[in-house]
Amino acid sequence: MNTSYKKKRAAGNAVAYIALVIISIIWLFPFIGLVLQSFRSYDPAVEYGGMVDYLVPKHFSLDNYRFLFSGQTNFLRWYLNTIIIAVFVAIFQTIIILCVSYALSRMRFTGRTFLMRFWLILGMFPGFLTMICLYFLLKQFGLTQAGAVPGLILVSVASSGMGYYVCKGYFDTIPKALDEAARIDGATRARVFFTMTIPMSKPIIIYTALVAFMAPWCDYVFASYVAFGHDESYNVAVAMTRWVWTNDYQGYFTRFCAGGILVAIPVTILFMCLQKYYVEGVTGGAVKG
Amino acid sequence: MKKKILASILAATMVLGLTACGAQEVTDAANTAADVVTDNADTIADAANTAADAVADAAAEITDYGTGEIKVWVADNVVDFTNNQIKTFMDANPQFAGYTVTVEAVGEGDAASQMITDVQAGADIYAFAQDQIARLVSAGALEVVNPLYEADVKANNDAGSIAAATVGGQLYAYPLTSDNGYFLYYDKSVVTDPSSLEKIVADCEAAGKNFYMEINSGWYQTAFFFATGCDLSYETDDQGNFTKANVSYASDNGVVALREMIELNGSKAFQNGSAAGEATNVGAIVDGTWDKDTVKELFGDNYACAKLPSFEGADGKTYQMSGFGGFKLLGVKPQEDDLKLEVCDAIANYLAGEEVQLARFNEVGWGPSNVAAQGSSEVKADEALAALGEQLAFTVPQGQYPADYWTLATGLGDSVRNGEILATSSDDDLMAVLQKFQDTCVGYAQ
Amino acid sequence: MGDSIKKVLSPIGEAVTKGDWKTKVSLLILGFGQLLRGQILKGLAFLALEAAFIWYIADFGGKYVIKLSTLGTVATQKVGRKTVYGDNSFLILLFGVLTAFVIMAFILVWYLNIRDNMEAERLLKAGKRLPSNKEVFASLFDKNFDKTLLALPVTGIFVFTVLPIVFMICVAFTNYDKNHQAPTNLFTWVGFQNFEKLLSFGSSGIGRTFVQVLVWTLVWAFFATFIDYFLGLAVAILINKKGIKLKKLWRTILVLTIAVPQFVSLLYIMKLFANDGLINGYLMKWGWINSPIQFWVDPMLARITIIVVNIWIGIPYLMLIATGLLMNIPEDLYESARIDGATGWQMFRNITLPYMLFVTGPFLLTQFINNLNNFNVIYLLTQGKPLSVNLAENAGSTDLLVTWLYKMTVTDTNYSMAAVIGIMVFIITAVVSLVVYNALPSVKDEEGFQ
Repeated sequence: MNTSYKKKRAAGNAVAYIALVIISIIWLFPFIGLVLQSFRSYDPAVEYGGMVDYLVPKHFSLDNYRFLFSGQTNFLRWYLNTIIIAVFVAIFQTIIILCVSYALSRMRFTGRTFLMRFWLILGMFPGFLTMICLYFLLKQFGLTQAGAVPGLILVSVASSGMGYYVCKGYFDTIPKALDEAARIDGATRARVFFTMTIPMSKPIIIYTALVAFMAPWCDYVFASYVAFGHDESYNVAVAMTRWVWTNDYQGYFTRFCAGGILVAIPVTILFMCLQKYYVEGVTGGAVKG
Repeated sequence: MKKKILASILAATMVLGLTACGAQEVTDAANTAADVVTDNADTIADAANTAADAVADAAAEITDYGTGEIKVWVADNVVDFTNNQIKTFMDANPQFAGYTVTVEAVGEGDAASQMITDVQAGADIYAFAQDQIARLVSAGALEVVNPLYEADVKANNDAGSIAAATVGGQLYAYPLTSDNGYFLYYDKSVVTDPSSLEKIVADCEAAGKNFYMEINSGWYQTAFFFATGCDLSYETDDQGNFTKANVSYASDNGVVALREMIELNGSKAFQNGSAAGEATNVGAIVDGTWDKDTVKELFGDNYACAKLPSFEGADGKTYQMSGFGGFKLLGVKPQEDDLKLEVCDAIANYLAGEEVQLARFNEVGWGPSNVAAQGSSEVKADEALAALGEQLAFTVPQGQYPADYWTLATGLGDSVRNGEILATSSDDDLMAVLQKFQDTCVGYAQ
Repeated sequence: MGDSIKKVLSPIGEAVTKGDWKTKVSLLILGFGQLLRGQILKGLAFLALEAAFIWYIADFGGKYVIKLSTLGTVATQKVGRKTVYGDNSFLILLFGVLTAFVIMAFILVWYLNIRDNMEAERLLKAGKRLPSNKEVFASLFDKNFDKTLLALPVTGIFVFTVLPIVFMICVAFTNYDKNHQAPTNLFTWVGFQNFEKLLSFGSSGIGRTFVQVLVWTLVWAFFATFIDYFLGLAVAILINKKGIKLKKLWRTILVLTIAVPQFVSLLYIMKLFANDGLINGYLMKWGWINSPIQFWVDPMLARITIIVVNIWIGIPYLMLIATGLLMNIPEDLYESARIDGATGWQMFRNITLPYMLFVTGPFLLTQFINNLNNFNVIYLLTQGKPLSVNLAENAGSTDLLVTWLYKMTVTDTNYSMAAVIGIMVFIITAVVSLVVYNALPSVKDEEGFQ
């Protein structure tokens, strides 16, 4: 009885391991392909740089990476732009979300439920709808083309208050009694917020900042709309999707892969380090809805 | 605003300096120059004519063109080239020294959409593919070619390119290249006889290589339809609106062409595509001169070019494949400042001139539209351009087409590729598809 | 309702009839009463708002708002060779709408000013002391801390979300398209014409295309949500199985898809599945197939491929969530089931699944809504292609309403129709949300399982 149970379990585990290995291969395959392609040279003397139908390059070379750092394109500039946008958006967006969440979680004021419902309804409009309008609004402040980087930060930050759900859910779980006790001792709301709530919210702050930091790396749609015709204001997504989509850049595929790897590295490392907080955040968010 | 006032004063002084002008005209022109918009349309028209004459007459006498910034958009691979050329031009023309010129990489494909999204933030001078011209004119993103240069431009470029740059009788752009057509590149070791489509496909199949042609593009598709004698063209007014469509796709000839597309699509060697850099395992590809270097890399010693092949239609007749001969153009956007417009026109005219076209050919291999440049020995020695030249005899110069046509044609091609239209379909079915296509095409013109 | 309106409006009536002269002057000069009563901070704030309002209307907003009814009449002209732009319908509409909002906001400020005056009068009459400037200021960090916290976010959302949405709703009722492109051409109001076009099923209407795109949007959202959900759950159970080692490694491998920016991974996958891409290339080399599988060309296959690729994107995310939640299921439920001789499947069906569905109900709804608007996956993979002769307005077989909207905006500059589609997306989202939300078990029965 005992042995058959063990056997059954061992067999079950073997199947599970096989399944997991297969899953891992499928999930890793595109990344392995990406890495391998990034080492294929685009120099015709070495190897052909366009699309090929084999996976492993015939010669390993660092030509693509050399190209990206050589200054033949503004790659470093695009990279810097993206980092600037990501950092500023992460900082400001976190501040705004914390403010909104605290106000909605802890304070009761006229219009509170109206505000929450109204924002919920606003969220049902597709974001792309307003692109052209946002473009001309930003243009009014001179924040397009040459000023696209601050413009993009402004737009991302300005509307971030509506993404308060997860953070408010977290605040709701902090016992109100703590606030009350502090207020009886004479602390103001602001003091409670800065000295009690914020220090207790490290996980949610990290989660909010992480999500905010990751989004700009993938912003192709609006960024290309705002920055068009000004190479120096592009972010990596705008600049590099051209290499795949536009016919002007044939044979850039391996360079795209190399650039993609360089883009993925910092975000991935950061994400892996802070994974714990991310999991807490999404799980919490999922349960609260 | 300051600049505007300065310009107005300059214009006014200039006009006053012209002794030939009558007193009445001078006041009118000066009014105009001072930017006074009256409600009386007649007055404006009068004044406008006068001012135009005055400016044209006085062009040679202007010494101060003011200052400003000029943005130029060209494809990425000619950015450096264009920068160098503009530098040469500015050095030779110190009177324009007040202007700083910046060149940005915006491809000919993207330029039109972005110009239309926000004309005022767009480039002052930009290169675009001719199929966008009507759209650009109707959105107010193109200025007519300066009368100073118009006659020269018309005289020096081939007739097809001038037709492509003309909308409703007005010349709206400076022709840049005359190589926006397609022909056949093939691998000598794979394809034995490049004159027959059936043989090319069979050779590719036998060698396990791919034959590339972008049949879901309205541009390449016409190779079939025009071959069998179908017609597809539009007439435009000078606002860039389409007034009339001449389409005869819904005919027996159309059915033959469509059947040929379906048949080609059925081959396992066939791949849809026209970008050599994106193609794999190529035996032959229908592509243009812009991919010459990529194809040379691909085929190495087996590199060869030829005009498009002929095919045997379902009706048993043999048809020589046709297609569009197309052009790249350089446009100047409407300006709110006369003097800046003069400068932009001068730069555009220079960039599209014989000397620069030839230099551009030598640097990046773009085939010139300038007749003199076409006649030069370097250009004549180029294999790809020779094949294109040979193909030219069978092509139709590409006129103006509504933007919707291109997506509609992609729809037709996709329908062939994804099996919505099958080889087993009856002629009536095919006719119904073409009838619908034709009706939609006609519907684009009002 | 009537009573509450009366209550809200009563301060105005009171101020006009019973207010003292300071209050009455405040009807015209905002903050006057407060200033005289020593509430300098408040008084200055009101006065500054009034001054800003007048300056805004006179200098900027006024000239736009008066043209709002026609959206401009002065056409662009050529004077000589130069261009003199006429009215810019776009800016008239945009700033006209903004000005309308500013006027409304000013009326609110005016009302608050009256109410504040009456309040002060009442306090003084009752012999009480008015709050000092210092107290008013300090309250912003205590009693009124919500106003301090929300001022900036609410303004931001107003300018960059509310205003643009109202603007685009207005655009849906104009003929702003590629033939009426500001600044060269004017556009104007056309009433419900665009809606009629969208819902007309004749040859010129785009009703049929709209329905097809809508159906695919819903089908896609359904599959993308539920397939990912169940597979994610399955993978989570697999990894959490007792006796499986290296749990962290498996999880990390999967999570890589969340970390790597989608424009990199999805564009690579797009090339991978292309007719001449790696997958077809190898399958043909190995002789498994003769001609390439038309992953992105065949409409049905393209849709399936998208859903499959989306599994690759979606599973890791759901695996993370499910892992967290599975831990919360009380272990003794499983123990007692095991004693009763339940199999693994029975335990899953009767314990795990109901629990998960109950807890994640609202989350599934949000996922569904997000998938309705899942731009990245579709656009990076197919850009809505393949196109077809049977679809109008350049829609493709894999286009969602949002990608169609995007193409209309960017490629075709057909803004008015894009705005109509946007309104449709809103209506669909709202209806789905309302219906599903009210049917959710966790909403109906808050006590269950907890």
